[in-house]
Order: sequence, then C-alpha cells, then structure tokens
Amino acid sequence: MTEATLPMGREAGRAAGWAGRNWAVLFLALEFAAFTAFGTHFVSLENVQNVLVACTFVLLLGIGETFVIITGGIDLSVGFLMGFGTVTCAKAIVLLRTAGVPLLAAILLGALISLAVGLFPGLVNGLLVARLKVPPFLATFGMYGITYGAAEIICNNTQITAPEGTGYAGNEYLFYWVPGKVLSFVRPEGLSEADLRGMVTLVPIIAVITFLVAALFAFVLTRTRFGRHTYAIGGNMDAATRAGINVPRHLTYVYVISSAFAALAGVLFVLRYVTGTSDAGSSLMLDAVVAVVIGGASLYGGKGTVKGTIIGALIIAVLETGMVNLGIPTFNRYIAIGGILIFAVLIDQFFPDLVGRGK
Amino acid sequence: MEERDVVRGRRAASRILPYIGERWSGFFLLFLLVAFSLLGRNFFAVRNFSNILYFATIYLLLAAGETFVIITGGIDLSVGFVMGLVTVVSAIVMRDLHAAGAPPAVSMISGSVVGLVVGIFPGLINGYLVARLRVPPFIATLGMYGVANGVMLNLCQGFPIYYLPPQAQQIGNLFVAYFLPGRSFTFFRKPPGMTPDDIRSLVGIVPVTVLIAAVVLLVFGFMLVRTRFGRHTFAIGGNLDAALRAGIAVPRHLVKVYVLSSMMAAVAGVLYTFRAGIGHFTTLSSSYELFAIAAVVIGGASLMGGRGSIGGTVIGVLILNVLENGLNITGLPAFYRYMATGLILIAAVVIDQLTPERRPAGD
Repeated sequence: MTEATLPMGREAGRAAGWAGRNWAVLFLALEFAAFTAFGTHFVSLENVQNVLVACTFVLLLGIGETFVIITGGIDLSVGFLMGFGTVTCAKAIVLLRTAGVPLLAAILLGALISLAVGLFPGLVNGLLVARLKVPPFLATFGMYGITYGAAEIICNNTQITAPEGTGYAGNEYLFYWVPGKVLSFVRPEGLSEADLRGMVTLVPIIAVITFLVAALFAFVLTRTRFGRHTYAIGGNMDAATRAGINVPRHLTYVYVISSAFAALAGVLFVLRYVTGTSDAGSSLMLDAVVAVVIGGASLYGGKGTVKGTIIGALIIAVLETGMVNLGIPTFNRYIAIGGILIFAVLIDQFFPDLVGRGK
Repeated sequence: MEERDVVRGRRAASRILPYIGERWSGFFLLFLLVAFSLLGRNFFAVRNFSNILYFATIYLLLAAGETFVIITGGIDLSVGFVMGLVTVVSAIVMRDLHAAGAPPAVSMISGSVVGLVVGIFPGLINGYLVARLRVPPFIATLGMYGVANGVMLNLCQGFPIYYLPPQAQQIGNLFVAYFLPGRSFTFFRKPPGMTPDDIRSLVGIVPVTVLIAAVVLLVFGFMLVRTRFGRHTFAIGGNLDAALRAGIAVPRHLVKVYVLSSMMAAVAGVLYTFRAGIGHFTTLSSSYELFAIAAVVIGGASLMGGRGSIGGTVIGVLILNVLENGLNITGLPAFYRYMATGLILIAAVVIDQLTPERRPAGD
C-alpha cells in the first residue's frame, strides 16, 4: 500500500515544487486568463502586441537591473538615466538636423551619441561602487539626482520634440499583412482604403529589438564566463575575489551595462514617441526592480535570470493593459504591483528551496 | 628640530582631519550659509531663514522617522506616499464634516486624528513584514510605497481635495511671533489694526509648523540617545545577533520603529494639509523618501545600521533646503538642486569611507 501511494506523493510534491518554482509563470497565465474572461477582446492580435510594446521599456531597464541585482547591488538611477537618454538623443537629432545632416544619418548619429553618452553615468556608478566602496543604493541615488538635473538643464525644463520622421522607425512593424493579398516587410504602398483598413500589422519593431537584446543578454548571463562571474560575485564576493575574478572591474562593467540599457530605452522612447523629456522613465525604475524581483532575483545577490525578468515585465504589462481594457482606474496598478512584489518575496522566503538558483 | 616640527605637524593633521571628516556636514552647512549670504541678495534675512525652515519642516519629520529605521539597518521607502495618503484622508474628513455643517474646530480635529490613526497602519504592516516575515525592508516598504500611492490616488481620484474649513490654512500658516519693526512684537497673532504698509513690513518669526516639528524632533532626539528604546535601536542595527542574545525583543522593537517612521510621515501629512489648505496628493516624481534618506545619510548615518543621530539628520535636511533656497535666490534654475543633492550625497559617503577612524556611535 505504501508502495502504491509513495509515487503519487512524490508526484504531488514534484508538482508543488514545479508550481513554487514557476509561480510567476502561473500567475502570468492566471492574469491573462482573468483578463480574457472579463475583458473585451483582450486576446486579439492588436492587444497582444500592445502588451509587447507596453513591456519593452520596463524590460530594457529590467535586464540591466538584473545584472546589477545578481551582483547584490541595486541601480536606482536607471529611470532618470532613461530620461537623460531621451533628452540627449532628441537634442542630438535636432542639432544635427539644423546642421543640415540628412534625416536618417541624423537619427542614427543621434542614437549613437546618446548611447555613448549613456555609458558614462554607469562608469561613474561602477567606479564609486567598485573602487570607492560606496553602497550601491547611495551611489546610484546620487547619480539619479545628477542625471535628472543634467537632463533638465539640456532640455531647459521642457520637452524636446524631435524632427518629423524620427517616429517612423519606432512605430514600424516587422510584417504587414493584407489577408489574401500582401505580406511584406515594409509598409505596402498603393493599397485601396478598404485594404488599408483590413491590413494587419505584425510584431512592432521596438519589441523585436528589445527581445533580441534580451535573448543576447540571457545568453551572456547563462552561457558565458561574464555571466558566471556575475553570479559568483553576488553569491560570495570574497570567494569570487579569491578565485581570481577581478571583482572591481567586473562590477564596473555591470553598472555600465545597466546604464547602457537605460540609454537604449531612452533612444527607443524617442523613436517611438518623438519627444525627449527628463521624466520619461521616472516611474519605470521601481517597475524595473519589481520585474526583476518577481522574476525570482534576490536583493541579497547571487540569484536572478533574464527569463524571470521577462516574465516579471510581462506580468506588469498585462496588468496595465488589462486594467485599461476593463476600465479599472489605473491608480490601482500601484496597489497591485506593490502587492505582487511583497507576495513574490514572501514565496521566496517561505520556500527558499523552490525558487531556482538562476541557472 | 625640523623633523620634530614635521612630526608634530603630521600629528596635528592626523588629529584635525578626522575631526573635520566627522563633522564635515556641519562645516559644509556653515560654508553654504556664508557663500549664499555673500552671493545672493536677501538670503541673509530673518524672512528668508523662516522660509527655509518652513520648507524644511516636512523633510525634517520624514527624515527623523527614517533615521530610526536606518539605524536599525533598514530603510523605509514608503514615507512619501504615506504622507500623501494621510494628507488626502485628513483633508477628506475635514471637507466632508465641514460640508455637513460641523463646527470648524470639530472637523479639523477629527480630520487630524483620523489622519494620524490611518498613518499607523502602513507602519504596522511594514514592521510586520520586516520583523516577522523577514521580508527585506527595501522590498516591504517598496510594496507599501505602491499600495499607499494607489490607495491615495483612489481616494482623491488624482485631484487635490478642496473646500476645507478656511481656518485650517490660517492655523497652518501662523507664526510663533510677529515683529512689526519699531512698533510691536506679538505672539501667535498678527498685531491689530495694520495698514497695508505695515502688512508689507511685518516679519513673521518661526512658523508654527516649524515649532511643532522642532518639538517632535527634540522628543525623538532625546529618545534616541537617552532612553532604552534608543539604545535598543542602536543595538539592533549594530549587531542583530548580539541584540537578540542580550534579550531584546527584536521583532517587536522593529515593528515599533516602522510604526514610528510612518507616524512621523502622518504628522508631516497633517501639517501639510493645514499649511496648504488643500489635500494635496504626493506626485510620483517628488521623491520625498529619497530626499529624506539622503538627508539622513548626509547627517552621518550608515545604511548598514548602527549609526546615525537626529542632530546629524537635521543638519542633512538643512543642507538640502539651504541649497535649494540659495540656488533659487542666486538665480540658478531649481533643477540644479537635484544635481547638487546627488553630488553631496556621493561626497558624503566617500568622505565617510575615507575616515575610517569614525567610531560607530550614536551621539
């Protein structure tokens, strides 16, 4: 008899273990199901793509934050770094255009300039944390103030509107499909009005860029020496030092990565919304941290995955779009996200064995 | 002989440098005051100093509560939105009672009391999460940050609460003393029978809200250094295991500390309501909590716990507010304030790192 029940018990235990490890995925599915059941046209091609677009900025900031949190640090500056990125990018494009540079070149150069400038705050954060041993919370909070101020000075306390045409790339889709007629990579021309109305746009470009970058950094984190060192530093810094890892240099890289992601988010924001504004990402910093923590990372370091962060960002994005869909006042998103955050950590506290160790 | 001089000089330097390092924030505040007095017109004036204190009140209260939390090695990110929540709640109570025809005193007192009572709960939940369920303080209070923000916005629907009893704003903007140069000096009320010229030259000395904040700060400053509650706070932050072994009821103490922090935010919220005469919700980008934390750290506390003082926190708050006021008066745009705060914060920690002689002590 015991022999008969034992495998079942083991199976149940395994199922519970799986559920505990993957509660975030289950939660996402549940959320999706709930909004599908109660919302109107929640599962439509258009809305699913809305979710993908809604999660891009949180996801970009979140991936950089994942690396930082795995090392046991935190980067509070990413939100205003993103704002700083939008402002430098928009300003650069505007200046290049007035200097007579063609539009495409101006956009590319502006994006590159913004990305390059965006590396410096991370470098400073990294040097402060790694060399001067400033606690990450304080170093990056200082940088939060500095980048906010700098962005406000560049944009003179108003929005910078990028030249017309900048939004073209950011609002493009990968495929255009007129059922039964055309399937093309570029916006098809010479269509009748009826065809245009029936045209289906598939996969927004900024989501493609975001998920490609996410895949790349998931690979870096799980399959390369850089990723292994990141986990090692967060798991046990002394051991990492003794194992010959150049900890200060590695930490500096990690903060630079975080800052670069914020700059990339800023550039994509300009491409999408054609404006640069210092508070473009002011509310996203916390969302990013929440996404990382929901994804199973620990603020004590050594734990976290890009996959988890993607799920965390999706949970937030589905929540946001679903609330809009149901007509629930968006204020409630703050309550929901706060609740989920605490729930995530409680699960981690009570079932420490369930939640995986990153790899 | 020369050698001896050099040695003596070095010895003096090695004594002076830590001395300055330990008190750099005080020196820095002094430096700011002198610099702005020289640079800005009308900076060195009773009216302006009153003004600085007026704007500093909210931060003083938030930062004082935060000081206790940070000394235990925790952090409270929710204070800004708890303050906003209390402001909105107390304003709604005042507005509704006033509209129902209750006497102004009744509606104002009930509004304040309800606000203060509501302010206990976020702290209780934070404390319970941190002390009993062992949620990292950063996460627990970040969750509360979201919840308080959401509840606050739901209550006010994203609009300020108007139509409070008009007396509220009058009370909130009283001064402890009024000075009419050469004519009169009165306490708590404006001199009667003033001409328009008189009103212009009337100087209010110390806003009442500042007095309230000062009393609260004195009480808690005393509590931190002279009572068992304060000693236990330092003990927990200094060495948690030792505190446990010494028989301190750590979980209960931690809950009290988080309640204290959220109560301070509630007091700040009620004062805010009285001062503004409307229930103003906290906006996302106002970052009260971060400025409060910055002030505590500039004041010499360590985020690792075990170190900090109310006096230091007051200096930290004053540095940030003098800076803002001074930058304004010298004509620099307000957003330099953010840069300056960031730079000073980083400087504070770097100086702290470079002065290893600093003993972990509270007073």
